[in-house]
Amino acid sequence: MKFSDETLMAYADGELDLVARAEIEAAMAEDPAIARAVERHRAFAARVRSAYGGVLEEPVPERFADLVKGPVAAPVVDLAAKRAERAESRATIGRWRLPQWTALAASLAVGLFVGMLVMRGPSAPYEESAAGLVARGELDDALTQQLAGSVGTGRVRVGISFRDRGGAYCRTFHLEREAPLAGLACRSGEEWKLQLLAAASVHEGELRPAAAMPMAVLHAVDAAIEGEPLDAAAEAAARDAGWLTTPDVTE
Amino acid sequence: MLPRLRRFARVITRNLQDADDLVQVAVEKALIRAEQWRPGSRMDSWMFGIMKNAWIDEIRARRRRERVHAPEEAGADIGDASAEARDIALSVQAAMARLPDEQRVAIALVLVEGFSYKDAAETLAIPIGTLTSRLARGREALQAILGDSGTAG
Repeated sequence: MKFSDETLMAYADGELDLVARAEIEAAMAEDPAIARAVERHRAFAARVRSAYGGVLEEPVPERFADLVKGPVAAPVVDLAAKRAERAESRATIGRWRLPQWTALAASLAVGLFVGMLVMRGPSAPYEESAAGLVARGELDDALTQQLAGSVGTGRVRVGISFRDRGGAYCRTFHLEREAPLAGLACRSGEEWKLQLLAAASVHEGELRPAAAMPMAVLHAVDAAIEGEPLDAAAEAAARDAGWLTTPDVTE
Repeated sequence: MLPRLRRFARVITRNLQDADDLVQVAVEKALIRAEQWRPGSRMDSWMFGIMKNAWIDEIRARRRRERVHAPEEAGADIGDASAEARDIALSVQAAMARLPDEQRVAIALVLVEGFSYKDAAETLAIPIGTLTSRLARGREALQAILGDSGTAG
Protein backbone atom coordinates (compact mmCIF):
# COMPACT_ATOMS: atom_id res chain seq x y z
CA MET A 1 0.00 0.00 0.00
CA LYS A 2 1.19 3.43 -0.91
CA PHE A 3 0.12 5.11 2.32
CA SER A 4 0.81 4.14 5.89
CA ASP A 5 -2.12 3.12 8.01
CA GLU A 6 -1.42 6.12 10.21
CA THR A 7 -1.81 8.41 7.20
CA LEU A 8 -5.09 6.77 6.26
CA MET A 9 -6.24 7.16 9.84
CA ALA A 10 -5.40 10.86 9.73
CA TYR A 11 -7.27 11.16 6.46
CA ALA A 12 -10.33 9.45 7.95
CA ASP A 13 -10.16 11.86 10.88
CA GLY A 14 -10.12 14.84 8.53
CA GLU A 15 -6.61 15.84 9.54
CA LEU A 16 -4.73 15.99 6.25
CA ASP A 17 -4.16 19.06 4.13
CA LEU A 18 -5.71 19.61 0.74
CA VAL A 19 -2.86 18.13 -1.28
CA ALA A 20 -2.55 14.97 0.79
CA ARG A 21 -6.31 14.57 0.75
CA ALA A 22 -6.38 14.79 -3.02
CA GLU A 23 -3.63 12.15 -3.30
CA ILE A 24 -5.48 9.78 -1.04
CA GLU A 25 -8.77 10.33 -2.76
CA ALA A 26 -7.15 9.54 -6.10
CA ALA A 27 -5.61 6.39 -4.63
CA MET A 28 -8.94 5.37 -3.11
CA ALA A 29 -10.59 5.65 -6.52
CA GLU A 30 -8.00 3.29 -7.97
CA ASP A 31 -7.49 0.89 -5.16
CA PRO A 32 -10.54 -0.47 -3.34
CA ALA A 33 -8.29 -1.78 -0.56
CA ILE A 34 -7.31 1.79 0.33
CA ALA A 35 -10.93 2.88 0.24
CA ARG A 36 -11.85 0.00 2.54
CA ALA A 37 -9.07 0.86 4.97
CA VAL A 38 -10.30 4.44 5.20
CA GLU A 39 -13.88 3.30 5.62
CA ARG A 40 -12.78 0.95 8.38
CA HIS A 41 -11.12 3.81 10.26
CA ARG A 42 -14.24 5.91 9.91
CA ALA A 43 -16.59 3.16 11.00
CA PHE A 44 -14.38 2.35 13.93
CA ALA A 45 -14.25 5.99 15.06
CA ALA A 46 -18.04 6.14 14.87
CA ARG A 47 -18.33 2.94 16.85
CA VAL A 48 -16.09 4.18 19.65
CA ARG A 49 -17.87 7.51 19.74
CA SER A 50 -21.31 5.95 19.89
CA ALA A 51 -20.23 3.60 22.66
CA TYR A 52 -20.03 6.62 24.94
CA GLY A 53 -22.95 8.55 23.48
CA GLY A 54 -25.29 7.35 26.21
CA VAL A 55 -23.40 9.33 28.84
CA LEU A 56 -24.54 12.60 27.33
CA GLU A 57 -28.18 11.56 27.65
CA GLU A 58 -27.93 10.70 31.31
CA PRO A 59 -29.27 13.21 33.81
CA VAL A 60 -26.45 15.03 35.55
CA PRO A 61 -26.35 14.01 39.21
CA GLU A 62 -27.52 16.56 41.76
CA ARG A 63 -24.16 16.90 43.39
CA PHE A 64 -22.74 18.64 40.32
CA ALA A 65 -25.47 21.24 40.23
CA ASP A 66 -24.50 22.25 43.76
CA LEU A 67 -20.88 22.66 42.76
CA VAL A 68 -21.54 25.60 40.49
CA LYS A 69 -24.24 27.46 42.38
CA GLY A 70 -21.97 30.05 43.88
CA PRO A 71 -18.34 30.90 44.48
CA VAL A 72 -18.12 28.66 47.50
CA ALA A 73 -15.97 25.57 47.37
CA ALA A 74 -18.13 22.49 47.48
CA PRO A 75 -17.50 19.87 50.12
CA VAL A 76 -17.42 16.08 49.82
CA VAL A 77 -15.57 14.00 47.39
CA ASP A 78 -14.69 10.36 47.60
CA LEU A 79 -11.16 10.58 46.38
CA ALA A 80 -9.48 10.67 49.75
CA ALA A 81 -6.16 11.97 48.56
CA LYS A 82 -7.71 15.26 47.49
CA ARG A 83 -8.98 16.32 50.88
CA ALA A 84 -5.96 18.05 52.27
CA GLU A 85 -5.36 19.79 49.01
CA ARG A 86 -8.90 21.12 48.89
CA ALA A 87 -8.82 22.40 52.44
CA GLU A 88 -5.75 24.32 51.47
CA SER A 89 -7.31 25.74 48.34
CA ARG A 90 -10.37 27.00 50.18
CA ALA A 91 -8.09 29.56 51.68
CA THR A 92 -7.45 30.96 48.23
CA ILE A 93 -11.05 31.81 47.41
CA GLY A 94 -10.39 35.47 47.94
CA ARG A 95 -8.03 35.43 45.00
CA TRP A 96 -10.59 34.11 42.54
CA ARG A 97 -11.20 36.40 39.69
CA LEU A 98 -14.88 36.66 39.25
CA PRO A 99 -15.22 37.00 35.47
CA GLN A 100 -13.43 33.74 34.78
CA TRP A 101 -15.20 32.04 37.60
CA THR A 102 -18.61 33.11 36.44
CA ALA A 103 -17.85 32.21 32.85
CA LEU A 104 -16.72 28.80 33.93
CA ALA A 105 -19.60 28.26 36.31
CA ALA A 106 -22.08 29.43 33.70
CA SER A 107 -20.69 27.02 31.13
CA LEU A 108 -20.84 24.17 33.56
CA ALA A 109 -24.29 25.04 34.82
CA VAL A 110 -25.98 25.52 31.48
CA GLY A 111 -24.45 22.37 30.09
CA LEU A 112 -23.26 23.87 26.87
CA PHE A 113 -19.87 24.91 25.83
CA VAL A 114 -20.56 28.19 24.20
CA GLY A 115 -18.46 29.18 21.27
CA MET A 116 -16.87 25.96 20.18
CA LEU A 117 -19.84 23.74 19.60
CA VAL A 118 -22.79 26.01 19.43
CA MET A 119 -21.83 28.34 16.67
CA ARG A 120 -19.40 27.78 13.93
CA GLY A 121 -19.22 28.76 10.32
CA PRO A 122 -19.33 31.98 8.36
CA SER A 123 -22.58 33.31 9.83
CA ALA A 124 -21.61 32.76 13.47
CA PRO A 125 -21.86 35.94 15.54
CA TYR A 126 -18.40 35.41 16.92
CA GLU A 127 -15.25 33.52 16.14
CA GLU A 128 -12.07 32.46 17.80
CA SER A 129 -9.05 34.61 17.18
CA ALA A 130 -5.61 34.75 18.72
CA ALA A 131 -7.04 37.15 21.29
CA GLY A 132 -9.92 34.87 22.21
CA LEU A 133 -13.52 35.08 21.08
CA VAL A 134 -14.34 38.21 19.14
CA ALA A 135 -17.71 39.44 17.90
CA ARG A 136 -18.49 39.07 14.21
CA GLY A 137 -21.36 39.82 11.87
CA GLU A 138 -24.59 40.99 13.42
CA LEU A 139 -23.17 40.99 16.93
CA ASP A 140 -20.20 43.09 15.91
CA ASP A 141 -22.48 45.48 14.02
CA ALA A 142 -24.89 45.88 16.90
CA LEU A 143 -22.15 46.40 19.49
CA THR A 144 -20.55 49.01 17.28
CA GLN A 145 -23.69 50.85 16.15
CA GLN A 146 -26.65 50.17 18.40
CA LEU A 147 -27.37 52.42 21.36
CA ALA A 148 -28.31 50.70 24.59
CA GLY A 149 -31.98 50.15 25.09
CA SER A 150 -32.89 50.89 21.49
CA VAL A 151 -34.91 48.26 19.71
CA GLY A 152 -33.12 47.40 16.53
CA THR A 153 -34.39 45.15 13.80
CA GLY A 154 -31.83 42.41 14.38
CA ARG A 155 -31.51 39.70 16.98
CA VAL A 156 -29.08 41.61 19.17
CA ARG A 157 -30.08 43.95 21.99
CA VAL A 158 -27.44 45.98 23.75
CA GLY A 159 -27.98 46.26 27.51
CA ILE A 160 -25.63 48.69 29.21
CA SER A 161 -22.37 50.35 28.25
CA PHE A 162 -19.57 51.22 30.64
CA ARG A 163 -15.83 51.64 30.91
CA ASP A 164 -13.75 49.00 32.59
CA ARG A 165 -10.83 49.60 34.93
CA GLY A 166 -8.44 49.78 32.02
CA GLY A 167 -10.60 52.47 30.40
CA ALA A 168 -11.90 50.27 27.58
CA TYR A 169 -15.55 50.40 26.61
CA CYS A 170 -17.62 47.36 27.46
CA ARG A 171 -21.21 46.51 26.60
CA THR A 172 -23.61 43.81 27.67
CA PHE A 173 -25.84 42.24 25.08
CA HIS A 174 -28.55 39.71 24.40
CA LEU A 175 -28.57 37.54 21.34
CA GLU A 176 -31.90 36.07 20.37
CA ARG A 177 -31.76 32.55 19.01
CA GLU A 178 -33.27 29.16 19.80
CA ALA A 179 -31.09 29.08 22.89
CA PRO A 180 -30.72 32.78 23.74
CA LEU A 181 -27.37 34.03 24.91
CA ALA A 182 -26.30 37.01 26.91
CA GLY A 183 -22.83 38.27 27.37
CA LEU A 184 -20.30 40.98 27.95
CA ALA A 185 -17.98 42.34 25.26
CA CYS A 186 -15.17 44.86 25.65
CA ARG A 187 -13.54 46.92 22.94
CA SER A 188 -10.03 45.79 22.12
CA GLY A 189 -8.47 47.60 19.19
CA GLU A 190 -10.88 47.34 16.32
CA GLU A 191 -12.80 44.44 17.75
CA TRP A 192 -15.24 43.51 20.47
CA LYS A 193 -13.68 40.85 22.58
CA LEU A 194 -16.15 38.60 24.32
CA GLN A 195 -15.48 38.38 28.03
CA LEU A 196 -18.34 36.11 28.90
CA LEU A 197 -21.23 34.30 27.33
CA ALA A 198 -24.04 32.70 29.24
CA ALA A 199 -27.40 31.18 28.50
CA ALA A 200 -30.16 33.76 28.80
CA SER A 201 -33.71 33.11 29.81
CA VAL A 202 -36.67 34.22 27.75
CA HIS A 203 -39.99 35.31 29.16
CA GLU A 204 -43.07 34.85 27.05
CA GLY A 205 -41.24 35.40 23.83
CA GLU A 206 -39.89 38.77 24.89
CA LEU A 207 -36.44 39.51 26.13
CA ARG A 208 -36.56 41.70 29.17
CA PRO A 209 -33.12 43.26 29.07
CA ALA A 210 -32.54 43.99 32.75
CA ALA A 211 -34.44 41.10 34.25
CA ALA A 212 -33.23 38.48 31.82
CA MET A 213 -29.54 39.28 32.13
CA PRO A 214 -28.00 36.17 33.71
CA MET A 215 -26.36 36.54 37.08
CA ALA A 216 -23.06 35.47 35.59
CA VAL A 217 -23.08 38.49 33.29
CA LEU A 218 -24.09 40.85 36.08
CA HIS A 219 -21.27 39.53 38.25
CA ALA A 220 -18.84 40.04 35.39
CA VAL A 221 -20.04 43.62 34.97
CA ASP A 222 -19.63 44.25 38.68
CA ALA A 223 -16.12 42.91 38.56
CA ALA A 224 -15.09 44.92 35.52
CA ILE A 225 -16.89 48.23 35.79
CA GLU A 226 -15.16 51.45 36.77
CA GLY A 227 -17.64 54.01 38.07
CA GLU A 228 -21.17 54.02 36.68
CA PRO A 229 -22.61 52.83 33.36
CA LEU A 230 -22.54 55.43 30.60
CA ASP A 231 -25.61 57.61 30.23
CA ALA A 232 -27.24 58.01 26.83
CA ALA A 233 -25.24 61.10 25.88
CA ALA A 234 -21.88 59.61 26.88
CA GLU A 235 -22.72 56.39 25.08
CA ALA A 236 -23.65 58.18 21.86
CA ALA A 237 -20.46 60.23 22.07
CA ALA A 238 -18.38 57.11 22.56
CA ARG A 239 -20.04 55.44 19.62
CA ASP A 240 -19.49 58.46 17.38
CA ALA A 241 -15.83 58.46 18.37
CA GLY A 242 -15.53 54.82 17.29
CA TRP A 243 -15.24 53.51 20.88
CA LEU A 244 -11.69 54.80 20.98
CA THR A 245 -10.16 54.98 24.40
CA THR A 246 -8.71 58.37 25.14
CA PRO A 247 -5.30 57.97 26.76
CA ASP A 248 -5.88 60.61 29.44
CA VAL A 249 -8.70 58.54 30.89
CA THR A 250 -6.87 55.24 30.99
CA GLU A 251 -4.16 56.53 33.25
CA MET B 1 -20.43 21.15 29.56
CA LEU B 2 -21.00 18.79 32.50
CA PRO B 3 -22.34 15.94 30.34
CA ARG B 4 -19.20 16.13 28.22
CA LEU B 5 -16.98 16.17 31.28
CA ARG B 6 -18.79 13.12 32.57
CA ARG B 7 -18.35 11.35 29.26
CA PHE B 8 -14.65 12.16 29.12
CA ALA B 9 -14.24 10.91 32.68
CA ARG B 10 -16.10 7.73 31.80
CA VAL B 11 -13.70 7.06 28.96
CA ILE B 12 -10.52 7.66 30.88
CA THR B 13 -11.39 6.17 34.29
CA ARG B 14 -13.13 2.96 33.16
CA ASN B 15 -15.81 3.00 35.82
CA LEU B 16 -18.81 5.03 36.77
CA GLN B 17 -17.98 5.79 40.38
CA ASP B 18 -14.44 6.93 39.64
CA ALA B 19 -15.70 8.91 36.66
CA ASP B 20 -18.10 11.08 38.61
CA ASP B 21 -15.65 11.51 41.45
CA LEU B 22 -13.11 12.67 38.93
CA VAL B 23 -15.56 15.16 37.43
CA GLN B 24 -16.20 16.58 40.87
CA VAL B 25 -12.53 16.91 41.69
CA ALA B 26 -11.80 18.48 38.31
CA VAL B 27 -14.66 20.97 38.59
CA GLU B 28 -13.48 22.00 42.03
CA LYS B 29 -9.94 22.41 40.80
CA ALA B 30 -11.14 24.39 37.80
CA LEU B 31 -13.27 26.73 39.87
CA ILE B 32 -10.44 27.31 42.29
CA ARG B 33 -8.02 27.98 39.46
CA ALA B 34 -10.51 29.89 37.35
CA GLU B 35 -8.12 32.79 36.96
CA GLN B 36 -5.78 30.53 34.99
CA TRP B 37 -8.31 30.09 32.24
CA ARG B 38 -7.90 32.68 29.50
CA PRO B 39 -11.35 33.98 28.53
CA GLY B 40 -12.05 33.13 24.94
CA SER B 41 -9.71 30.16 24.84
CA ARG B 42 -11.11 26.66 24.70
CA MET B 43 -12.71 25.98 28.02
CA ASP B 44 -13.33 22.32 27.22
CA SER B 45 -9.69 21.74 26.38
CA TRP B 46 -8.63 23.41 29.59
CA MET B 47 -11.06 21.34 31.63
CA PHE B 48 -10.03 18.07 29.98
CA GLY B 49 -6.40 18.88 30.70
CA ILE B 50 -7.24 19.39 34.37
CA MET B 51 -9.17 16.13 34.40
CA LYS B 52 -6.38 14.16 32.78
CA ASN B 53 -3.86 15.46 35.30
CA ALA B 54 -6.21 14.83 38.21
CA TRP B 55 -6.67 11.26 37.00
CA ILE B 56 -2.94 10.67 36.70
CA ASP B 57 -2.53 12.02 40.24
CA GLU B 58 -5.24 9.67 41.42
CA ILE B 59 -3.69 6.64 39.72
CA ARG B 60 -0.34 7.42 41.30
CA ALA B 61 -1.92 7.87 44.70
CA ARG B 62 -3.67 4.52 44.35
CA ARG B 63 -0.51 2.77 43.34
CA ARG B 64 1.12 4.23 46.39
CA ARG B 65 -1.73 2.95 48.49
CA GLU B 66 -1.58 -0.38 46.66
CA ARG B 67 -5.26 -0.29 46.07
CA VAL B 68 -5.49 -0.39 42.33
CA HIS B 69 -9.06 -1.08 41.31
CA ALA B 70 -9.80 -3.80 38.82
CA PRO B 71 -11.56 -2.53 35.72
CA GLU B 72 -14.42 -4.96 36.14
CA GLU B 73 -17.06 -2.29 36.60
CA ALA B 74 -16.38 -0.79 33.19
CA GLY B 75 -19.49 0.54 31.52
CA ALA B 76 -21.66 -0.29 34.49
CA ASP B 77 -24.35 2.17 33.52
CA ILE B 78 -24.95 3.35 30.02
CA GLY B 79 -28.49 4.58 30.22
CA ASP B 80 -31.43 3.31 28.24
CA ALA B 81 -29.70 1.99 25.17
CA SER B 82 -31.24 -1.04 23.57
CA ALA B 83 -29.79 -4.38 24.57
CA GLU B 84 -27.88 -4.69 21.35
CA ALA B 85 -26.48 -1.17 21.46
CA ARG B 86 -25.59 -1.76 25.09
CA ASP B 87 -23.69 -4.90 24.25
CA ILE B 88 -21.71 -3.08 21.59
CA ALA B 89 -21.07 -0.18 23.91
CA LEU B 90 -20.00 -2.55 26.66
CA SER B 91 -17.64 -4.40 24.41
CA VAL B 92 -16.01 -1.18 23.25
CA GLN B 93 -15.81 0.10 26.80
CA ALA B 94 -14.40 -3.17 28.05
CA ALA B 95 -11.82 -3.13 25.28
CA MET B 96 -10.96 0.48 26.04
CA ALA B 97 -10.40 -0.45 29.67
CA ARG B 98 -7.54 -2.70 28.58
CA LEU B 99 -5.60 0.07 26.86
CA PRO B 100 -2.78 1.99 28.54
CA ASP B 101 -4.01 5.29 30.02
CA GLU B 102 -2.10 7.42 27.53
CA GLN B 103 -3.73 5.72 24.55
CA ARG B 104 -7.16 5.85 26.11
CA VAL B 105 -6.88 9.58 26.75
CA ALA B 106 -5.82 10.21 23.14
CA ILE B 107 -8.81 8.22 21.89
CA ALA B 108 -11.11 10.01 24.33
CA LEU B 109 -10.15 13.41 22.97
CA VAL B 110 -10.00 12.65 19.26
CA LEU B 111 -12.58 9.95 18.66
CA VAL B 112 -15.07 10.61 21.43
CA GLU B 113 -14.76 14.38 21.85
CA GLY B 114 -13.95 15.13 18.23
CA PHE B 115 -10.86 17.24 18.93
CA SER B 116 -8.43 17.90 16.11
CA TYR B 117 -5.02 16.25 16.55
CA LYS B 118 -3.56 19.68 17.19
CA ASP B 119 -6.08 20.60 19.90
CA ALA B 120 -5.76 17.19 21.51
CA ALA B 121 -1.96 17.47 21.56
CA GLU B 122 -2.19 20.93 23.11
CA THR B 123 -4.66 19.74 25.70
CA LEU B 124 -2.29 16.97 26.73
CA ALA B 125 0.80 19.15 26.35
CA ILE B 126 2.49 16.62 24.08
CA PRO B 127 3.89 16.91 20.54
CA ILE B 128 1.41 16.22 17.78
CA GLY B 129 3.51 13.28 16.54
CA THR B 130 3.27 11.66 19.95
CA LEU B 131 -0.47 12.18 19.97
CA THR B 132 -0.80 10.67 16.51
CA SER B 133 1.21 7.60 17.38
CA ARG B 134 -0.66 7.02 20.65
CA LEU B 135 -3.90 7.35 18.76
CA ALA B 136 -2.79 4.94 16.04
CA ARG B 137 -1.48 2.38 18.52
CA GLY B 138 -4.58 2.68 20.65
CA ARG B 139 -6.86 2.17 17.70
CA GLU B 140 -4.92 -0.79 16.49
CA ALA B 141 -4.98 -2.40 19.91
CA LEU B 142 -8.70 -1.76 20.31
CA GLN B 143 -9.49 -3.27 16.95
CA ALA B 144 -7.38 -6.28 17.79
CA ILE B 145 -9.19 -6.76 21.09
CA LEU B 146 -12.56 -6.36 19.42
CA GLY B 147 -11.56 -8.84 16.76
CA ASP B 148 -12.17 -6.79 13.68
CA SER B 149 -8.81 -6.56 12.12
CA GLY B 150 -10.55 -5.61 8.87
CA THR B 151 -10.11 -6.59 5.32
CA ALA B 152 -7.62 -4.08 4.06
CA GLY B 153 -3.94 -4.64 4.07
